Amino acid sequence: MEVTAVVDFAEATTTWWFIPLLLILFTGGICPAMGAVLITHRRLLQVNLISHCVLPGLALALVLGLPPSVGGVLSGLIGALLAEGFTNKKNQNYEAIMNTILSGSLGLGVLLIPLFGIQIDLESVLFGDLLSASPGDLFRTLISFLTFILLIFCAYDKLVHIGLDPEGAALSGIKVSYLNLALGFTTALVIVSSMSAVGVILSIALLSTPALLGLQQAPSLWVAMLRSSLFGVLVSLLGFSLAVIFNMSPGPLISVICIAFLGFLPKKNN
Amino acid sequence: MTSLIAEKLAYSYPGQSRVVLDQVSVELTPGTLTALVGPNGAGKSTLLSLLNGFSKPDKGQISINGVPLIKSGYQVALMPQRGKLNWDFPITVEGLVALGRVNHPRSTCCELEAALQRVGISALAKRRLDSLSGGQQQRALLAKTLMTPAKIFLLDEPCSALDPPAREEFLLIMRQMANAGFSLLISSHDWGTSLNAYDKVIALDKTILASGSPEIVKEKLDSINCMHGSYCCG
Repeated sequence: MEVTAVVDFAEATTTWWFIPLLLILFTGGICPAMGAVLITHRRLLQVNLISHCVLPGLALALVLGLPPSVGGVLSGLIGALLAEGFTNKKNQNYEAIMNTILSGSLGLGVLLIPLFGIQIDLESVLFGDLLSASPGDLFRTLISFLTFILLIFCAYDKLVHIGLDPEGAALSGIKVSYLNLALGFTTALVIVSSMSAVGVILSIALLSTPALLGLQQAPSLWVAMLRSSLFGVLVSLLGFSLAVIFNMSPGPLISVICIAFLGFLPKKNN
Repeated sequence: MTSLIAEKLAYSYPGQSRVVLDQVSVELTPGTLTALVGPNGAGKSTLLSLLNGFSKPDKGQISINGVPLIKSGYQVALMPQRGKLNWDFPITVEGLVALGRVNHPRSTCCELEAALQRVGISALAKRRLDSLSGGQQQRALLAKTLMTPAKIFLLDEPCSALDPPAREEFLLIMRQMANAGFSLLISSHDWGTSLNAYDKVIALDKTILASGSPEIVKEKLDSINCMHGSYCCG
């Protein structure tokens, strides 16, 4: 009986759907958990920024013969740091600065691709190509998953303090800027790792909607992250299944399902 | 017993020529409830920020029991204005209070319970922060501040969102803390007859206008005639 089960599992790993399924499970779990942290830190706009900023890094990494994900993470992080650097102390101009850098980075990426004659499938980077995912994509997602777990394990209390009272956190000796940098790095890593599953642009939906649902009445950030992950896995599995049944692209379908899930949010007066 | 002495403090925001505080001297002694009053923009929050060590004065010095503030460890705790907190954060009251010991020695459950009891919200420990009233939230924030190992507490407009009965209850808690030997400096832009509840009042408007017992400060302020009375936290 046990031998049969092992053989069945070994056979399953060779089927076309095994890696995409694992990838969507991990992506569906980690993106919303990351999103829950970012929403409570009021930094979700950073997701938009980083997801658009990864493109020039991906392109340059390919030119230099480096792993594209390394370039993507670095340029995403540089974009986030640039935006914070140009923002005034009262954060009054953050949104305008962010939008400028966001569109500029996307433009730079689009310019670099023909300039260097880079062979890159722009559509799959932006919107995902789950069904052609490789073990390398799965490995990248596992690294971002472990990085996120490490960040939460080592700095959970500090992240809670910063999210609740940033000034008070700094007063109590917490290195707020270092932790924000770590948060930005992990965000960039999560976005780049979700590239194969849903694409860097569509990952915004997975980082937002399940997290919004998970945060409802959660008594702690831990619970909010876990609930968000469960919602994320549910949305992702639904999208994956429907994509297979109706022969559609999973990334965009998951984003559309996210809009439908907004209907489960409590009404404003509740 | 822990005393704080600030002498001739001056401060301007970086890159700005406008002087926010000038020649400000303050002394906080153990067991004393002190009110810091002044109009909007008088520099109250800036002074609390300097006394807490978050900002550094351009001139002057701050010491605790003769030791410079920077070398005194965590002897001073600041309870911020409620507007500076993210009240929608997913956290319970006991979760918030426990944060008072992040980066300090780990708290025991007894310390946490004691802080909750001191401000009278033990029954609310498991409630989510955003389900509380404004007064209960302020008490939870005070309990978090009490978890620090500090002996000197600076409270920035703790009564700004409270109705008069809640203000009186809050003042009672602060009086009990002073009686327990702590030193408290409470800022408010409201003042009036209720200032009598304080041991000492400091009137600030960029510089010290008056300082001393409530009666003395009121007399002096009447003679200066630059402020208008209203209902006060205390």
